[in-house]
Amino acid sequence: MDVVDLIATILMVIGLFFAFIGTLGILRMPDVFGRLQASTCISTMGTIFVVLSSIVYVVAHGMSGSVVVKLVFILLFVLGTNPVSNHALCKGAYRSAKPNPEPILDDYKEDDPQ
Amino acid sequence: MTAFLIGAIVCLILDRLVLYRVFRGPTAADRICAMDALDLVTALALVLYSLHTGRTIYLDIALVVALLGFVSTVFVGRYLERRL
Amino acid sequence: MKGFKFSAWLSTAILCFLFWLLLTWSFAPRELILGVLVSAIVSAFASRFLIHSRAFYLYNPVRLVLLVFYCVIIFFWEVIKANVSMAALVLRPKLDYKPGILRIPADPELKSDYGLAMVSNCITLTPGTITMETAQDEEGRNYYYVHWIDVAETDRDKAGEAIKGTMERWIGRIWK
Repeated sequence: MDVVDLIATILMVIGLFFAFIGTLGILRMPDVFGRLQASTCISTMGTIFVVLSSIVYVVAHGMSGSVVVKLVFILLFVLGTNPVSNHALCKGAYRSAKPNPEPILDDYKEDDPQ
Repeated sequence: MTAFLIGAIVCLILDRLVLYRVFRGPTAADRICAMDALDLVTALALVLYSLHTGRTIYLDIALVVALLGFVSTVFVGRYLERRL
Repeated sequence: MKGFKFSAWLSTAILCFLFWLLLTWSFAPRELILGVLVSAIVSAFASRFLIHSRAFYLYNPVRLVLLVFYCVIIFFWEVIKANVSMAALVLRPKLDYKPGILRIPADPELKSDYGLAMVSNCITLTPGTITMETAQDEEGRNYYYVHWIDVAETDRDKAGEAIKGTMERWIGRIWK
């Protein structure tokens, strides 16, 4: 096991640790908003570090350039689409679900920009 | 590399943990949030498994899984907001 | 067709063709011809959703370099900081946090729709904050409504500084 594989393994372990944090947050948080906030950990740090470790491995082992391009596309798609879906789901949950720790201040309900 | 195979198996275990929230979640928004996270973790597992076997066709599947999860989550979010 | 502009069509077609080249990763002549045809047809339908004004704004090399620098350094650092604090919150044995939805003001220099959308997407991508809405008041100032999971600062201006960090200044340099 040479140095490059060790670096790739370390990056992958960091990514999987943050994916585990996101999963634990989804299981532990008491209401929808907390779960949404925790699941962002998976889509940022988990994806970024797993794709980084894959890029290190692919470049060091001399695989085709199209593999690197596809990995970068997966990262860009996830980072570009995940905030949109989180935003839509948060607004939908605000209309339908009840927050469990009551928010200490709620400007959205007072102003009601709709 | 064997570490990538172990990582893919860890991703599948995380999938099963998220699936508990899908079955258990009190409201629809909880279930959809957990389904979104499940899509992402599945895409990560596919990326790692494709590098373990060296067959890059799984990367295309990971791309499609991530995109379809996004579309379905946005649809259900708009539906819960009563705009659809 | 309603709302069709030639500059928007050309800009979207160039983007689609670059995308095609990167995904197919081959330079055989029939693939190139098929790529030109497909990107021309697709961008004829999609250009009015993607581009509203200033079609060739981002093709400036200085702005591209700034955008890549922002994504690789500034945004990455903000994401790492927010993730570590989120991990500390989740791993705490007893969950006690004070959520809240705050109205924080936007930078008055930042007027364009693309800039506002990019700032709110970056706020959503840092764990701990989700943008719920952007609104404009009568005097033309923009506001974000942000759901913050652990409210540390109830004053709106200071909370805006804490949430946005250095991200909005850099995006203001890119999009004006």
